[in-house]
Amino acid sequence: MKPAPFEYHAPSSVAEAVALLGRGDGAQVLAGGQSLVPLMKARTVRPAALVDVNGVAGLDAIEERDGALQIGALVRLQALVDHPGAARSHPLLREAVRHAGHLATRHRGTVGGSLAYAAPWAELTAAAVALDATVELRSPSGPRSVPARSFFRGPHQTALQPGELVTGLSVPAQPPGAGAAFHEVSARYRDYAHVAAAATVAVDPAGACRAAELVLLRVAPAPHRVDVSGLVGTRLDDAALGALDAALAGLDPPGDVEVSGAHRRRVAPVLARRALRDAFARAGEHREAA
Amino acid sequence: MSTAAGQRVTVHLEVNGLWREAVVEPRRTLADLLREDLDLTGTHLACETGVCGNCNVLLDGESVRACLMFAVQAEGRSLLTVEGLAADDGTLGDLQQAFHDHHGLQCGFCTPAMLLTAHEHLREHPDGGTDEQIREAISGVLCRCTGYEQIIASIRAAAEAGP
Ligand SMILES: Cc1cc2nc3c(=O)[nH]c(=O)nc-3n(C[C@H](O)[C@H](O)[C@H](O)COP(=O)(O)OP(=O)(O)OC[C@H]3O[C@@H](n4cnc5c(N)ncnc54)[C@H](O)[C@@H]3O)c2cc1C
Ligand code: FES
Ligand code: FES
Repeated sequence: MKPAPFEYHAPSSVAEAVALLGRGDGAQVLAGGQSLVPLMKARTVRPAALVDVNGVAGLDAIEERDGALQIGALVRLQALVDHPGAARSHPLLREAVRHAGHLATRHRGTVGGSLAYAAPWAELTAAAVALDATVELRSPSGPRSVPARSFFRGPHQTALQPGELVTGLSVPAQPPGAGAAFHEVSARYRDYAHVAAAATVAVDPAGACRAAELVLLRVAPAPHRVDVSGLVGTRLDDAALGALDAALAGLDPPGDVEVSGAHRRRVAPVLARRALRDAFARAGEHREAA
Repeated sequence: MSTAAGQRVTVHLEVNGLWREAVVEPRRTLADLLREDLDLTGTHLACETGVCGNCNVLLDGESVRACLMFAVQAEGRSLLTVEGLAADDGTLGDLQQAFHDHHGLQCGFCTPAMLLTAHEHLREHPDGGTDEQIREAISGVLCRCTGYEQIIASIRAAAEAGP
């Protein structure tokens, strides 16, 4: 259980990191190491060189501007969970990311690592898609932005090009007073999700749904956005939610050593309703508080 | 900083209040540095893949898996390991005494990580917090013996005894 030898680089700027990654010698980014180091110990991956970005300046801040958030790639998952401004403007981030492993995992694991690794259970990927966030990238040829909705291509597959660095995630402002909820099912507490549902709901002054988003994990190759436009104008009662069943009936989730596809198909609608209902109730609380 | 494969570097870090140094390859994990280079074998290794939490140490006060960090990444940082919880003459700290009094350990393998995780929890929740919060705090550390109830009782007792 010891990694093979590697060349080790600890750059202090984005430019330096990108130059090292651009040399094309198979160098890999080391961020929180919570996914990469176990793989290196099993020698499933044997990078010739590591570019440790933990000392890179300017990537560890969460900035709020006019309701939008700019989250640096090195922001630790727990720092995102604990950030009061983010919890206020984008409660889905906290609701989702608090499920990402254990406290010690989240103390090291990073936003950029979670996006780049794109594990099928990664809660942050569902939140990024639901919130229509944009992944910020940098390579020797310059910066580039990719919407989360096209960044994730499949399990551990993204639009990231070899040698490209994730520098951050920008999350647009949300409708005021939107509520958010995240539910997942796993074999053990805080273990990898078998199925998960992320939802946001905004309500109008009369208390009816004005906009809603629903993203499911592990029912399709990448985070799966469900069309819930039919909920607009309703109060998410049983009849309105019944229309969801049609949207979810066509799902054909993959099975694996842990759970079958049939199990996922059965659990997904339950979590979807739970998440939408909770998000709607929280949106209502915001409205009353306002 | 750049280091060729196999080349060794000197790492300086503060462990339990003392500055220490060791000369290691970049692939040396923090856990192995503690155990092999500094002879601090209180940090226990089981899964070595981040799952069991038995290697938890506090890095600048925050719990981390020592098996998933490279020692070079701890350069200049401050660590608390289980060896730092007792007084110099070996007298147990209050939290350790509470584990002893309330049967918070059986084989003792998970105990260093449980103590450090509880130490972090009590710093955030000096009154102990709710049972649910204690469970959440220790949920990342596996114990194969106790069934956890006595560990929760020990942490609760330490909180009630006060700082
Ligand atoms: C016990 C345990 C339980 C976990 N449970 C969960 C869970 O429930 N949900 C969850 O989402 N995660 C979970 N994780 C994973 C954890 O969240 C990881 O931290 C995360 O997936 C990867 O982030 P990292 O910063 O640790 O990345 P690393 O491990 O450092 O890197 C992962 C991969 O991403 C690449 N990479 C990292 N940063 C960048 C960047 N900025 N640009 C380009 N490429 C980059 C690396 O080269 C590597 O290929 C768990 C981990 C453990 C050990
Ligand atoms: S030995 Fe580090 S988490 Fe199991
Ligand atoms: S006391 Fe034996 S593993 Fe916890």
